Amino acid sequence: MPRSNPSLDMTPMVDLAFLLVTFFMLTSSFRTPEPVVVDPPTSTTKTEIPKQVFMITIDNQGRAFIDLTNPAVKSRVFEKVCNQSGIKVDSMTVKKFAGSGAIGLKITAIPQYLELEANERTKVNQTGVPYDTTGKKSELYWWAYYTRLEAHADFKAREEEAKTRKLPFDKSNYIQFAVKAASDAKYDAVKNVIQVFRDAKVKQFQMITGLESEPSLK
Amino acid sequence: MAQIQDNGGGGHGKGDKKRAKKQSTHVDMTPMVDLAFLLLTFFVLTSTFSKPKVLRMIFPEKLDENVKDQKAPEVKDGITLLLTANDKIYYYRGSLKPNTELIPIDYTRTGLRKVLVDYNADMLVKLQDIQKRMNKLDDKDTAAKRKLDEEVLNAQKASKQIVLVKNDEGATYRNMIDVMDEFMITQIAKYYVIDEGMAKLEVDLIKKQGK
Repeated sequence: MPRSNPSLDMTPMVDLAFLLVTFFMLTSSFRTPEPVVVDPPTSTTKTEIPKQVFMITIDNQGRAFIDLTNPAVKSRVFEKVCNQSGIKVDSMTVKKFAGSGAIGLKITAIPQYLELEANERTKVNQTGVPYDTTGKKSELYWWAYYTRLEAHADFKAREEEAKTRKLPFDKSNYIQFAVKAASDAKYDAVKNVIQVFRDAKVKQFQMITGLESEPSLK
Repeated sequence: MAQIQDNGGGGHGKGDKKRAKKQSTHVDMTPMVDLAFLLLTFFVLTSTFSKPKVLRMIFPEKLDENVKDQKAPEVKDGITLLLTANDKIYYYRGSLKPNTELIPIDYTRTGLRKVLVDYNADMLVKLQDIQKRMNKLDDKDTAAKRKLDEEVLNAQKASKQIVLVKNDEGATYRNMIDVMDEFMITQIAKYYVIDEGMAKLEVDLIKKQGK
């Protein structure tokens, strides 16, 4: 009686497994740790978030957190804002800031925060970037102001480079301002933050929303 | 998958004597495959597919504080939406008078959307007509498409339907996004969010009429 071989040929399955691994490795992007989890409201819009954004997160207590997807621009903005407030930072701190994810602290507290290890950072109770508009320009204003300038400079630099190297240039890749606010945040808080950005001559915002089903007019 | 090399047992082959100790070419791939599946599971579970969606909003430049006589847009027959706490929303037509009746609605299809659809009916018919013509067009006919896009823009510019949005300190961000979303759905071309929020009379009216 012929004995059947108990071992299966698993090559196709393994091939497929590796194919999927490669696919997921290449397509997935990791979420950076966020100091607050914000649940945005839903809408029916289908526009996707731009590639590069200056993200303003507003939680339900009205605290503002800032983040920038482009590390080079982020570090330049940080240097400028520190300069503005008369704080001296070394290149190490700037580098740490560029890779730190969203931050909602006073500028004076940021270098100290960056000294901490990642797991200690989550324990810090962040107070939000101050944006109180009474009196002189708030810190958030300077973040907005320098980001707007640097975003423009970055765009121009890339355009110039594309021209000299005769490469196609993606005009849509401009750093834009995105607002991610908690759905139960007071609108007045969101409005005050936006007001600061309007003072800094930022007029266009991408309001981040969750997905909702197709609407009907009936 | 450890393979046990079966050498035929009997030794019939003629090459048996010369190549008796032929090395097996099989490599044990079990650990590698284990790792592959582990990684696969990890990436499947951690990857986020849907990118967040955005609602584009453009805010006008701030009014110059030195110029005093700038007024809120005048509304003759427009709708004013009043957003207030606990997801409540009221509206009234035309200009505000002490005896204006506030009509309570909600954020659902039968509430706010129905009001806006009825209000903007002309525009919706116009846009549907343009859309129909657009669908009939050939995909390559970009010139005609651009012409229709322009027609949409002109229709929006000529729109007489104006909606004002005012909120008090109780209104949440979700309320505002919901209203903006409704404007998109119902193709309201002209809407204004009033920076100052509600006027005192409106607050009083809500207190008096709202329950």
